[in-house]
Formats: sequence, C-alpha cells, structure tokens
Amino acid sequence: MLLELARRNLERIKVRSILAIVGILIGVMAIGSIGIFGESLKAAVMKNFKDVVNQLNVYPNFQEGYTYIEQRDLRSIEKIELVESVTPIRSDSSLIVYREKKTYATVYALNDDFLKKNFKVEKGDINLKNGCVVGKLLADHLSLKVGSKIYLDNNECRVSAILENTGARFDINPNFAVIVSEDYFEKISNARINLVVVKVKSLENVEEVKSTIEKTINRKDERVVVFELKIIVERISEAFNQINLFLIAIASVSLLVAGVSILNVMLISTIERTKEIGVMRAIGAQRSTVMKIFLMEAMVLGLIGSTIGAILSIFGGILIDYALLKDFSYVFQLSTIFYVFLGILIGVTTSLLSGLYPAWKASKLEPIEALRYE
Amino acid sequence: MREVIVELKKVWKVFKTKYYEIHALRGIDLQIEKGEFLIVMGPSGSGKSTLLHLIGCLDKPTSGEVLIDGISTSKLSDSELTNLRRDKIGFIFQQYNLIPTLTVFENVELPMVLKGVSRDERKKRVSILLEMLGIKDTAQRRPNELSGGQQQRVAIARALANDPKILLCDEPTGNLDSRTGEQIIQKIKELNKKENVTVVLVTHNPSFKVFGDRVIYLRDGQIVDVT
Ligand SMILES: Nc1ncnc2c1ncn2[C@@H]1O[C@H](COP(=O)(O)OP(=O)(O)OP(=O)(O)O)[C@@H](O)[C@H]1O
Ligand SMILES: [Mg+2]
Repeated sequence: MLLELARRNLERIKVRSILAIVGILIGVMAIGSIGIFGESLKAAVMKNFKDVVNQLNVYPNFQEGYTYIEQRDLRSIEKIELVESVTPIRSDSSLIVYREKKTYATVYALNDDFLKKNFKVEKGDINLKNGCVVGKLLADHLSLKVGSKIYLDNNECRVSAILENTGARFDINPNFAVIVSEDYFEKISNARINLVVVKVKSLENVEEVKSTIEKTINRKDERVVVFELKIIVERISEAFNQINLFLIAIASVSLLVAGVSILNVMLISTIERTKEIGVMRAIGAQRSTVMKIFLMEAMVLGLIGSTIGAILSIFGGILIDYALLKDFSYVFQLSTIFYVFLGILIGVTTSLLSGLYPAWKASKLEPIEALRYE
Repeated sequence: MREVIVELKKVWKVFKTKYYEIHALRGIDLQIEKGEFLIVMGPSGSGKSTLLHLIGCLDKPTSGEVLIDGISTSKLSDSELTNLRRDKIGFIFQQYNLIPTLTVFENVELPMVLKGVSRDERKKRVSILLEMLGIKDTAQRRPNELSGGQQQRVAIARALANDPKILLCDEPTGNLDSRTGEQIIQKIKELNKKENVTVVLVTHNPSFKVFGDRVIYLRDGQIVDVT
C-alpha cells in the first residue's frame, strides 16, 4: 500500500515526475551507451591480440654479450612439457634486387606452418621449397608480383606468395621482408637463431613456462631474455579500462544533474505535503514510515528512468558502434551488457541518495507543526 | 466503578517564539472518565486545541503530566507516542484532513495498515465502519469528490479504525452547515453510547452542550467553569 501511495503521489505531480525521470534516463543512457562503446572498442582492439597472449619471445641477452640462441638451449625449451610449439627464427638483412630496382630488407628463415598460422596471404600460395614469400610493403616498393624473380645477395629466388599487410607485431615484422626456407637461408647468411617464439598450451601456464626457461638456460649466466606478450596485452586492456572509466565519469555528471533535479522535486513535495505528513503522523505513522514513503518515491523515479535509459542505451550503443566501428556485434557481449546494468545501478543509487535528504527532512517534521501548516 | 482514562496534572504549555512567550495552558488539572462525553468551550485562543493536542500525544506539556490509560506520556519516545496515538486515540479535525491520493476505503484502512492488520481483517472492518456511518457507496471515491459532511464521516470512520479508547474532535462541525453539523454530532454521540468511546469535543456551538456529560470552559489557558 505504501508503494501504491508513493506511485499515486508521483502521479499527482505528473509533469515534475516525468521531468525527473527524463533526467535520470538521459544519465543512465549516457553511462550505458558510452560504456558499451568503450568496451566494444576494447574488444575490437583486443581481438587482434587474441593469438599472441600465450606467446613468449626468447631473445639472446645482448647486454651480456650473447648475440644468438644456441641449439642446445632450443632443445631444452622444446623439452618443456607445457609448451605447444617452439619456432626458432633466424634473420639477417640482405640486398634485394628486382630488375633495375634494389633495396635492403630483412630476410627471415621460417617454416610453412608458422607462416600459415600467423600471416594471411594476399596472392599466391605459401610453399617455401619452391619459392620465397614477400611482405606487402616490400612487394609494393619493388612492384613485385607472384612469379617475379628476385635476387638476394645474388642468389636467385621466385616469389611464390605475397602476404597481407600485418598490423604491429611483437615478434617479427614481415611487411618489409623476404621469408625463405631454412635451407635457402643457409646459402645467403650464416646468422644464427636470434629469436625463439614459444607458444604455451594454456594461458595459466605462461608464467610457469617463462620461469622454467629462465631457470634452465640462465642457470649460470643470463644468456637469454624472456619476454611475455601477455603483459603487453594486459597493459593495453588496462589502458582501455582507464579510458572507459574516465568516459563513464564524464557521463555520470549528467546523472549528478538528474540527481539534483530529483532532490528538487522531492523537496518541493515535502513542503507541499507538510500537512499530509502531519495527518499521517497523527494517525500513527512512524517517522520511519514517512521516510519510507519518500524513499519509495525516489526509487520509483529512479527505477523507471533507469530502466528506460538502459533500454535506450542498448540502442545508443548499437548506433555508436555501428557509426564508429562498423560492427555492433560487440554490444551483445556479457562484458558490454555489464555497463547497462552499471548504468541502472548508478541511476537507482543516485535517485535514492537524492531522495535521502528530503525523506529525512519529511520524517523529522514535528506532527503538531506539520498539522498546523497551511 | 468509575475509571479515569485521561488525567492532566498541573499542565502548563508555553510556546516560545523569537519575540514573545505565549502561555497557552496555565496549570490545567483535569480527569476524564472512561465513556465520558466531554465538551470543551471557550473563546478563540483560549487553548482548546492545545489541550486536545496534549491529550492526543501530538505534543508534550512544558511542565506537568499527562496520563493516558494510566501511562505517563512524558517519558515515552516519539515512536512509543506514535504507537499510542495509533492504537488508543482517534482524531477528527475541522478540515477533515483526509489523504487526497487515497480513496475513501483506503483512507479508513490506513491506520490499520500502519498497525499491521491483515488485509482480510482490514477489509471487514472498513466495510463495517462505512456501513455504520452510512457512506458505503462512496468507498471507491476520492475525498475531493465528496461533500463536507461525507468527508467528515470518512474522517470519523478513519478515527475509529483501530477501535480507539479516546476520540478527540477539534471543531468537527466548524466547516459544515448546521443541519449536517447536527447529524455529525449525533453520530459521535451514538458511537459514544454504543461503543463506550470516550469523547472530547471542542466546539463553539452552545447548542451542542446538551450532548455532553460535562462541559468545561477555558479562558486564557485556565479552566474557569465546569457544568
Ligand atoms: N505552535 C505554536 N506556536 C506559537 N503559538 C502557538 C502555537 N500553538 C498555539 N499557539 C498559541 O497558543 C494559544 C492557544 O492556541 P489554541 O490553538 O489552543 O487556541 P484555540 O482555543 O484552539 O483557538 P481557536 O478557537 O481559534 O481554535 C494561542 O494564542 C495561539 O496563538
Ligand atoms: Mg483551535
């Protein structure tokens, strides 16, 4: 009955109630849709890092004078049980000549498997036995096509595939490089392994594998440096969370305004209804009951505003995502929908907090003073 | 045996404002018996309403003691006083003071809601009360859709909801024409006789004196005459 009474009291001042609801609605919508967009942006960016979170890069420790990784160290990494795959990478730089054009570029020795797993082919097929693979930028620079015959330090080689432009990576950068087979690499360079890419079977074991590698290889001397890609990914994710938090804080300002408007509406109500409060107290309503009625009114305002705002924020999120990311599938992820509920929570909390002071004020009215009020 | 239900001992009430002090009641000694119909008369400003508010536990005396049903009210907390009002006292005001957002039915039901009476029991009691006051067909209407006389009947029904021992009426006919006023007083008298409710009625109308078992006259906060 008290809830019903609260509802009717709000209905009695319909226009004011609706304005207060609109205020809350806008605030919740701002928080919700900005939260959704921030989370979508993060998800879109993080998608690119999905494949590298379980990766460890093992480099020779240049600071201690080690310039390559020894075969026996490679063997001991391969022996670690939790490791999924180990790819030694050798690279050198070499003069590349195609017709009358020439340039220096990196040459990597890799295997077909690693290439296929990590990079997308734009033209041709990966088959290092029958020819080399070139990165997009180098191909453009030298106007290479599949089948072009290039020279690497005077060694002839046919382009069997051109890779798509890859984004920033943390291990090798094939955009301006030629990738050849191990055997071919032997012919043009005597460079040794300068990077071992280790993929760990499951994400939880990344730290364990890292310390195992360090313990076994660096027992006497700091021969290698192990670099955890998970850390970078975590940092980026963290940065996005901070940006999101900041955006939501800004959006919350609009809720603050809404809170003040609820405070205002309810303070007017307590004054208008002073006599009524006196009557209620005279016929046996406790202070706490009066307080409850006013808090319920604040809560009803908050719940209605927040619910409508939350629904609109989903549409808002879809709209912003579509406009800026051209993809609104992220809206329906659990981590994204979380922000809708966060919006509701902040909206209702704000309303309740704004209702607290008027409710307290109403409950503190002396019954006799309230009754005498005209 | 005669049972005293309200007792006032040397009650003073002083209102202090910024500029002056008003001695609204000056040492009132009064005993009201159970089932009595007491009429309070006196000029405007003589302290009649103040007296009623003290008996009704809406206010506390500046000095002296008010005992309701043997309980001294001076030591009770706000919450205990509220429960006392809810359970033992019914108020009827000159301006009816119904809750405008509630229907007639709900207005009468409200004191029982505050007491925690079950829904079924509330429903039963409300229809008995509405029947008793002859306003059964107004149950679903709002106060502003009723005549003054009807509103005052609703107020009486509400005052009786929790079966109080004392009914306090502050000029209940003040806003009504003389015929309707007479009917209201008749109704109150009838309740007083049938239900043995103690009634304290403040009025300016001398023709109502016949309804009272006793009439007291107030002037400047003192009882100056009893008949
Ligand atoms: N809350 C208050 N603050 C200050 N003065 C008050 C207060 N309540 C009552 N008074 C004063 O106390 C005196 C008695 O008031 P009270 O309302 O009891 O008179 P009354 O006999 O009921 O008068 P009326 O017949 O006009 O209703 C008056 O002088 C009034 O101004
Ligand atoms: Mg008066």
